Amino acid sequence: MDNANASIAAAPLPTGQTLRRRKNLLFQLWRFAAINVRMLTMITKGSH
Amino acid sequence: MARVVVLGAGISGHTAALHLRRMLGKGDQVVVVSPNSKWNWIPSNIWVGVGKMTSDQVTFPLAPIYRRKGIEFHQALATALYPEGSSDVASPHVAITYTDPARVNESATLSYDYLINATGPKLNFAATPGLGPDGHTLSVCTAQHATETAARLAAVIERMRNGERQRLVIGVGHGTCTCEGAAFEYTFNVEHELRAAGVREMADVTYFTNEYELGDFGVGGMVFAQRGFETTSKMWTESLFRERGVHAVLQAHVEMIEPGVIHYEQLDGTKSTLEFDFAMLLPPFRGADLQAFDATGQEVSSEVFAPSGFMKVDANYAATPYEEWRAEDWPSTYESARFANVFGVGIAFAPPHQISRPRTSPNGTVITPAPPRTGMPSGVMGKTVALTIADRIKSGESVAPHKASMATMGAACVASAGVGLRNGSAAAMTMYPVVPDFQRYPETGRSLKDTFGEIGLAGHWIKYMLHLVFIYKAKARPLWFMIPE
Ligand SMILES: Cc1cc2nc3c(=O)[nH]c(=O)nc-3n(C[C@H](O)[C@H](O)[C@H](O)COP(=O)(O)OP(=O)(O)OC[C@H]3O[C@@H](n4cnc5c(N)ncnc54)[C@H](O)[C@@H]3O)c2cc1C
Repeated sequence: MDNANASIAAAPLPTGQTLRRRKNLLFQLWRFAAINVRMLTMITKGSH
Repeated sequence: MARVVVLGAGISGHTAALHLRRMLGKGDQVVVVSPNSKWNWIPSNIWVGVGKMTSDQVTFPLAPIYRRKGIEFHQALATALYPEGSSDVASPHVAITYTDPARVNESATLSYDYLINATGPKLNFAATPGLGPDGHTLSVCTAQHATETAARLAAVIERMRNGERQRLVIGVGHGTCTCEGAAFEYTFNVEHELRAAGVREMADVTYFTNEYELGDFGVGGMVFAQRGFETTSKMWTESLFRERGVHAVLQAHVEMIEPGVIHYEQLDGTKSTLEFDFAMLLPPFRGADLQAFDATGQEVSSEVFAPSGFMKVDANYAATPYEEWRAEDWPSTYESARFANVFGVGIAFAPPHQISRPRTSPNGTVITPAPPRTGMPSGVMGKTVALTIADRIKSGESVAPHKASMATMGAACVASAGVGLRNGSAAAMTMYPVVPDFQRYPETGRSLKDTFGEIGLAGHWIKYMLHLVFIYKAKARPLWFMIPE
């Protein structure tokens, strides 16, 4: 049952640009705000 | 005057107790029973487990908060429910045994008008021989476990510094475990620490799970819309495993742990072993050891609780095949199926079935994640039941209950993948609803607009912010109730 590791080996790797974006402070500040808004919208939608 | 007794001071019980105190009048009583003197923000135990936080940063004593809020606190274990009273005490009551050092092993009864069972999970290490801190593996389920685990991780890192290659296995220790998200987080936090310590190339890191495929997380996986395509949490998770060089063993049920060896079976029926130098495996969960009795003193535990020990509530417990599972099977009011004025919330309620497709090996072993009931839904359930009880105390028994089903509720999960304000990382995910509804969303079971995932430093900041905000809220500091569950 080693399909798991074969499947992992075939998974797409993030590009250099994606990896840099994941650590870039300015870009991440924007993502911080955007993700928070997304989460709050979802919470409001689920509230009773 | 009404009296509400809350069993358990975890995420759901503490939330319910604080909201009840805020909503009820001075003449009404709110009573909390919990065996631990401290409250624990369990999600941050992951960081305690890698030595990045101390136990004191993720816990605080409950008694001063309850004293300030006017909540009666008993440091005790609830042992039995008497919702119709008994020959000794006519009113509905619960039997407790004190764990409070000042009264240890003393028994007492507490009468109630409304009872909330928020006793969470019993960590069932006993289900797998050799599993857990009393056996041969480690845990991060409590702050104390996580502190011990951090010390063992430090020792393993030291051995790698001395040139010894080490095998680290992190995952779940039974075919029916839940909380795969926590195991995933701990895996990537450990991997992050190994790199920070400069010993990554000396370590084989393996994620060991009962999930059918990576990214299942006990919720049957997720589908996200990204850049004009539908992608799956499987692909997304596998990509992270590849990037960070983490191996995986999937579809696994642990049969037994011997010192340094995991014996396991996989879905195709094969049995294998995996050797380790360090293993953190989460236990399966059971309900608390509570019994229930009717007015005649007859034990009715099997009517009140499912065989798993979790409390049966307003769910559809009829055994149906996966194809016939419906969103409506999930409870929404959390009222006990057997007794009026008794509620079960958070992990303590019995789910009607799994969320992930159930699977069994040719040997008959169930290897399927149990449905997770994470922090956010647990908090929402606690508040929902508090609203119902407050309404009924103020306006009478006939008031309709408030509702919050996991099939109409979303969840935000931020899975840490490494600590650090500049170099931390986390996978931030939201899903709506938690339980897929294929009638409403025929293609993927969930709203594509509200189900998303993203990896990056921002996720770590959010996880850290949640740590601060939820501890602030649990301490009932000014305007705590404005913070959503
Ligand atoms: C390591 C780990 C990491 C996690 N990370 C996340 C995360 O990042 N995000 C997330 O959303 N969720 C996370 N979770 C899940 C989250 O912790 C649970 O969803 C949540 O704690 C459930 O709340 P609860 O109130 O049902 O149970 P708990 O919080 O466990 O509380 C149960 C309470 O009942 C008490 N109790 C037990 N038995 C009795 C008894 N007989 N009588 C009285 N009291 C009793 C316990 O002492 C405790 O106070 C994580 C879980 C673990 C184990």
